Amino acid sequence: MRIGLLLVAAALLPGQIPRTAEGKPDLSGVYDIATLTPLLRPDHLGDRLELSDQEAAALAKMEAARMAKTSQASNPNRTAPPKGGDGSEGAAGNVGGYNTVWTDRGTGAFKINGKWRTSIITDPKNGRMPPLTPEARKRAAARVALARPNTGDAWWVKEGLNPGPYDDPELRPLGERCLLGFGSTGGPPMLPVLYNNLKQIVQTPNRIMILNEMVHDVRIIRMNEEHEPPEIRRWLGDSVGRWEGDTLVVDTTNFTDQPALTSATRYLHVVERFTRIDARTLLYQFTVEDPTVWTRPWSGEMIMPATEDRIYEYACHEGNYSFEGILRGARLLEAEAAAKAK
Amino acid sequence: MSKLSKSILALAAALVVCLTLTRKVEAHHAFGAEFDPNRPVLLKGPVVRVEWINPHTWIHLEVTKEDGGKQVWMVEGGTPNSLLRRGLKRDTIKPGQVIIVDGYQAKDRSRRANGRDVTLTDGRKFFMGSSGTGAPYDKPENKDK
Amino acid sequence: MAAGAQQLPRLSNGKPDFNGVWQAIGSAHYDIERHMARPAMMLRDGPHGPLPAVPLLRLGAVASVPGGMGIVEGGSIPYKPEARAKREENRKHWIERDPEIKCYLPGVPRATYLPFPFQIIQNEKQFFIAYEYAGAARDIYFTDPGPPETDSWMGQSVGKWQGDTLVVEVTGQNDQTWLDRSGTHHTEQMKVVERYRLMTPNHIQYEATIEDPEVFARPWKISLPLYRRMEKDARLVDFKCVEFVEELVFGEHRRKKLER
Repeated sequence: MRIGLLLVAAALLPGQIPRTAEGKPDLSGVYDIATLTPLLRPDHLGDRLELSDQEAAALAKMEAARMAKTSQASNPNRTAPPKGGDGSEGAAGNVGGYNTVWTDRGTGAFKINGKWRTSIITDPKNGRMPPLTPEARKRAAARVALARPNTGDAWWVKEGLNPGPYDDPELRPLGERCLLGFGSTGGPPMLPVLYNNLKQIVQTPNRIMILNEMVHDVRIIRMNEEHEPPEIRRWLGDSVGRWEGDTLVVDTTNFTDQPALTSATRYLHVVERFTRIDARTLLYQFTVEDPTVWTRPWSGEMIMPATEDRIYEYACHEGNYSFEGILRGARLLEAEAAAKAK
Repeated sequence: MSKLSKSILALAAALVVCLTLTRKVEAHHAFGAEFDPNRPVLLKGPVVRVEWINPHTWIHLEVTKEDGGKQVWMVEGGTPNSLLRRGLKRDTIKPGQVIIVDGYQAKDRSRRANGRDVTLTDGRKFFMGSSGTGAPYDKPENKDK
Repeated sequence: MAAGAQQLPRLSNGKPDFNGVWQAIGSAHYDIERHMARPAMMLRDGPHGPLPAVPLLRLGAVASVPGGMGIVEGGSIPYKPEARAKREENRKHWIERDPEIKCYLPGVPRATYLPFPFQIIQNEKQFFIAYEYAGAARDIYFTDPGPPETDSWMGQSVGKWQGDTLVVEVTGQNDQTWLDRSGTHHTEQMKVVERYRLMTPNHIQYEATIEDPEVFARPWKISLPLYRRMEKDARLVDFKCVEFVEELVFGEHRRKKLER
């Protein structure tokens, strides 16, 4: 248990933040960014940035009730689930995913300056992303066209898609291939996902390291240096940092052609701001721009609360049985579709 | 229930629903890519082995077929990291322990299924077995986030 | 050169400052024992002695193994007879068995002397090592969390200072890694105790004592220098080799199989 950080916090006066020997705020620590506040604000909330205390409490209560319900006993004499699927959506894919105990989405919304937030995105004012460029809209539409409910057949054969969505490993999402953590867990920007939202920061005067639990992705921020030449690309981009007063400002460019952030391209440019607001909490703010994707930059903010939990190793490729199964399954379903067509 | 608290609950409900929607593609892989909704299974038998690994834990159990023959199936769970942080241990599922799994078979027709619901023979969730006496979700340190 | 003959960089708490990019030189990653150069990492019998195995033939000298005085103190690893036989078998089947080929995490101590740089990020309370190879990473805990709750590829590292030497005990490594490209295997019982000592500002003396009662007759030790990468732009560059081995590992499942 990481009691070290707690003891340091206890020794400080309220309002005081731990500083390094060089006098800079000490951002080092282990943080858990799981939160029920979504990246994108639900449509019906419009321009509302804040949740009332009652709303936030209701949200937390609902989530706690949902989790408690899912840990109740099941019928020991239950039968197999329905043929044709159980209707579950999203990642559960009509087959019901797995027990919720494996997930860790967070227990409530987060607060900044005493106010609960409806979304991580703060700009645009409606808490949604700005409009896409025409090209990005085309790419997004193509992606949406490939997203189908799981019907257990090779629908792409019937539709004569070429390439089909499972033709090659390279066509699958980076997370599925174990090349990067899924969602934008490592980003940047670092965004909450369904589980394993822990991050570790190790700060020194010249280099600041951020470890993302998935997929043990390390980002080393070079302080007060220039970006790398354009031939050098990085999966998490090239991060250079500087202090603006007590805020660490990190500028990241030089991404590969497929950054973790959905839709983004090699022209992605992220500016993050890390500010320690108390002994246990960092304020994390970011601005994203990619002129080939979004018609203007967008920004968000959230907190990074310290956790006493440990980051565990997340070796991915080494145990990626599912990827093999997904490709093999696609080949089998294609063969079945071909046989039926005869 | 007052009108105000009803509307708060409705809002919270809407928020939760929307949260689920916005999280649509955020998991290591969509289970929809791997498992076949047309092949539901119900597996019951003793655990043979647990691969406590990422990106997914795999629970191997021995199933007895109708003709009396034995087969080993692999059931896919989630990341063990979550369980470790909930205070559960590797022996939360012990070899020899009989479990019941309902789920769907893999699209590649192998003896794999998703751990849609993994329970003990009395219906309790698998993680309630050795170390749990109640919901393992209330870790006090993380309550006040 | 005696430590202290040059002034060592130190942190504000007086501990030696290991921050920087480091790399081992030599042939330990091929074979940690003292060894002559070999035609290739995997051999087959030729009419007049060993030849490179067929899959390596076209790589010629690029697939050859350079000789080295080894990093094992005493020269050879005290394998138990059955375990030594298994190592021989591993060598015969190197191309199917070496985890490095599939870009699997390397474990400790192999990560230290791979032909790739690694970076130490160290402050008064933390010591973190990021390896260029496969993005391997490990955090050294200074508070012992107890026995590892599960096995992992890089194990659990618990460190303490003995004067200016950082001593790190690594346990909980799974049995899937090798210590080099020559089939040097172990079980999950293996315990590695590393010692990092900054000898001059630009080199570390690295030692590791390895014990595994299942396969070794007694504990044994490796030692080698680690050198600071002196280039002004020294840094880790991405080596996410998982992408490079996709065709090898998953290529047979492509819709249109490629020549293999």
